Amino acid sequence: MTDAAHAHDLHAAPSPPTGWHRLTAPGWLRVLWVTPIFFGIGLGLPVLLRWAAGWDPIWKGSVLVTVELVTTPIGFLVGIGGFDYWAYYASGRPTREEDHSGHGARSWRDYFRINTDHKVIGVQYLVTTIFFFCVGGLLAMLFRAELAQPGDQFFNPQTYNVLVSNHAALMIFLFVIPAFAGLGNYVIPLMIGASDMAFPRLNALSFWLLPLAGMILIVGMVTPGGGPSAGWTCYAPLCSHQPLGQVFFNMGVQWAGASSIMTALNFLVTIITMRAPGMTFWRLPLLVWANFTTSLLVVIATPFIAGSQFFVMFDRVLHMNFFEPAGGGYVLGYQHIFWFYSHPAVYIMMLPGFGIISEVIAVMSRKPVFGYRLMALSLMAILVLGFSVWAHHMFVAGMAGWLRVPMMVTSMVIAVPTGIKIFSWLATMWNGRLRFSTPMLFALGFLSMFVIGGLSGIYLASVPIDIHASDTYFIVAHIHYVLFGGSVFTIFAGIYYWFPKMTGRMYNEKLGQLHFWLTFIGFNLTFFPMHYIGLQGMPRRVADYAHRFADINLFISIASFGLGASTLVFLYNMAYSWAHGPAAEGNPWRALTLEWQVSSPPPIFNFDEVPQVVGHPYEYGVPGAQHAIFGAPHPTPVQPVGTD
Amino acid sequence: MRRGSIIQLTAIGLVAGAICTAVALAIPWLPVSAGEEAHRIHFVYWFVTVICICVFSVVVAVLVYSVWKFRAGPDDDSDGPPTHGNTQLEIVWTAIPAVLVTAISIVSAIVLAQNGHAGTNPLIVKVDARQFAWNFTYPNGKSVGYLTLPAGRHVKLDITSEDVIHSFWVPQLSQKQDAVPGQHNSLVITPTRKGTYPVICTELCGLGHALMRSHVDVVSPARYAAWVKQSASASTGAPGLAVFSGAGCAGCHTFKPANATGKVGPDLDNLAQLAKQANRGSLEAFIKESIVTPKAYIAPGFPDAMPPGFGTSIPPDKLQQLVQYLAKGPSQ
Repeated sequence: MTDAAHAHDLHAAPSPPTGWHRLTAPGWLRVLWVTPIFFGIGLGLPVLLRWAAGWDPIWKGSVLVTVELVTTPIGFLVGIGGFDYWAYYASGRPTREEDHSGHGARSWRDYFRINTDHKVIGVQYLVTTIFFFCVGGLLAMLFRAELAQPGDQFFNPQTYNVLVSNHAALMIFLFVIPAFAGLGNYVIPLMIGASDMAFPRLNALSFWLLPLAGMILIVGMVTPGGGPSAGWTCYAPLCSHQPLGQVFFNMGVQWAGASSIMTALNFLVTIITMRAPGMTFWRLPLLVWANFTTSLLVVIATPFIAGSQFFVMFDRVLHMNFFEPAGGGYVLGYQHIFWFYSHPAVYIMMLPGFGIISEVIAVMSRKPVFGYRLMALSLMAILVLGFSVWAHHMFVAGMAGWLRVPMMVTSMVIAVPTGIKIFSWLATMWNGRLRFSTPMLFALGFLSMFVIGGLSGIYLASVPIDIHASDTYFIVAHIHYVLFGGSVFTIFAGIYYWFPKMTGRMYNEKLGQLHFWLTFIGFNLTFFPMHYIGLQGMPRRVADYAHRFADINLFISIASFGLGASTLVFLYNMAYSWAHGPAAEGNPWRALTLEWQVSSPPPIFNFDEVPQVVGHPYEYGVPGAQHAIFGAPHPTPVQPVGTD
Repeated sequence: MRRGSIIQLTAIGLVAGAICTAVALAIPWLPVSAGEEAHRIHFVYWFVTVICICVFSVVVAVLVYSVWKFRAGPDDDSDGPPTHGNTQLEIVWTAIPAVLVTAISIVSAIVLAQNGHAGTNPLIVKVDARQFAWNFTYPNGKSVGYLTLPAGRHVKLDITSEDVIHSFWVPQLSQKQDAVPGQHNSLVITPTRKGTYPVICTELCGLGHALMRSHVDVVSPARYAAWVKQSASASTGAPGLAVFSGAGCAGCHTFKPANATGKVGPDLDNLAQLAKQANRGSLEAFIKESIVTPKAYIAPGFPDAMPPGFGTSIPPDKLQQLVQYLAKGPSQ
């Protein structure tokens, strides 16, 4: 294809299908009739097999739901067009010459279909995850209302447990992890000078698994008989005997995990193969380093949570006995497998945030990142150590006694690379020219709160203290200092920082600062007292508690409503500024990294000419320093695999 | 660095440290220590706290100082000095945390070893957890729903579960251990301070989890010796009440004579009325059926949450006592 023809295709809007083709073309109309067909298959297949085999009953809820939760989402994905190109290819039909019609957004409608543009997908991810963030937050408001007083007020224990379980599941699997995937999706190709991700169609598919996973978890809550109520950790054998809603949890986690693994593979291949000329690993921005290590973690660890949920599902549906003591199963096996994922998951939820903070602090301090190489290496150290600490979640579980001290030592040692990062950020700020814009405020909020979360982590790594504190509100306080004060603050920092790049508009700085202060104060008032009630003896996951904790729980509940309300400021700021904010320049922060060297929002294939990387990404204060130059003579542009 | 800024930085650090120390001391963060193991755990806690306050103060000092001193003016477009790193500094802040966490690890490992030491002649008590009750069995066969322990003697708990995972915790004794079905875990406690403390289940074990509570009475050795000789029923009043507590009914049901306040299952104070609604034979027959084969009839508006194993886990004579106790109604 000639350059001129190529350029023409890029900018031509796809011609809309007409007549019957509207029903067969990928899109929501096709979803409307394909999904019911797959629903029917999911219903008919098990019923037919059970009837043919003479099994009683023919209609078995747990079997039907399990099969349905595989077929119906596939039906949706087929309908929306997630498999079209591959189906053409696999069936031997001529693949349609790539016309890029599924690439880029020309109107808001393009955000609601299969789109192969990493920038569109990044925005799809972020909007979807913020939606689930709000749902997860509302669930928390509901159970905080219940906890305002001891005894049962609004919810029975079943509903309460469902609220708690889904609050955690949505926040972890549908907000924090995919929000980082969304930011990474938008920024990584731009930062490394690529025109898209390595596998754009896989990227689109990864995104569409996510709303499915979220809907499965939400629908699971209102299943007849009761939603999943065994906590997000879903320990066997309790979860094997939960009402039907538990199956929704098992399967929802699978879909979210599949999405996560596919995105991680995509990031890895993109970062390894599609860097612009001159972009060596030691010239990568730290956000890219962070997502590189995170993706390695995801690819290695996430299959383990898939495994744990499959085992539970097999125990339930196929009557196997992996974790059933009566059948010779090994109860603690579940926890070993689960935490072999879920501890690295903590770093999956934190390392991309470290990357965001490195970007924001360097730019807002106008100084190079202090100790760049050690910053990158400490990420790798956390990656390796992260796989050797899982059993610190099991110090009281009754596992082999000898395992406790080694796991304590490795957990303690993780404090060293983490400390290196904290001190390096502080040193980056030292003698800088600090600008306290909203992203910087969230970065500083992160720095202070994450130190508290990290230090309470030291308490918990120490086996004797953990024996006292585990499964109490001290743990709840710790994980919220790490995941809210840590991850969520970095997500906010990242959203504000790249908002002008993504939307081409500037957010309202005053509202951004208001949002920060409300969140920061509300967060501390909500979660700091939990350290105290936990050490004093209040266990987690209880709808009812001892009367002596009544006053402090009332205080926490009121603070948590304030914290929830602060999100309204954020939502208003984002929505209003996206529609009506003042136009943003290409590089409002005067940053050196590549994503800021193009227009806001960037052109449809990111770079009109391939950048030649000539230096480090954070050379602030070095006279005449450049990260990349445009217009250098260079042979062929780097294109995503399979778009030609 | 100038001398003035070092003094300012140190001053901020000292103020931050002083505030943290005040917060650490003024608020009673830990419950009263009632046992030897708790004493040691509290020691580790304070050891870690001192280190954490130092680290936190350093971070806060640098952060506050930077925010205060390095703020750029509104029209200041200049960059900071291009410092890329400082190897000595990086070695220092790698080595010092490494030393600190090593120290914490060593102290923790020693305390862990000491806290697992039960001495030569421990009192062995079997702990059976089930949804939603604790059952404690003494060497002489006495079996009750709460713990009574002599002060000053090592106690080794042999903990297991009949259904799902539970976790045994007495905040004042600090020790905690999961009760896992299919395996026996041991936990050493050495109560030293007389008093009554709560026993709490800390592992989510189902709908009655929040109310899966009991208590431990720490008494003098002489009183313990007398107590352990008494038969179980003599010490707890109505024989049915002991079965009621031991089977964990209070986790889910309200029943005034037993001070039970659970809300998961039907209110047992209204049993007579419930039996009429159900219309499944006499009151006694209805109660017995509901305990032994709970799925036979589920009261409208309640979940199918009654554990299925009571028919086998409660011996027939005890079951009879429980049925009579419940049939007598709330005014006994």
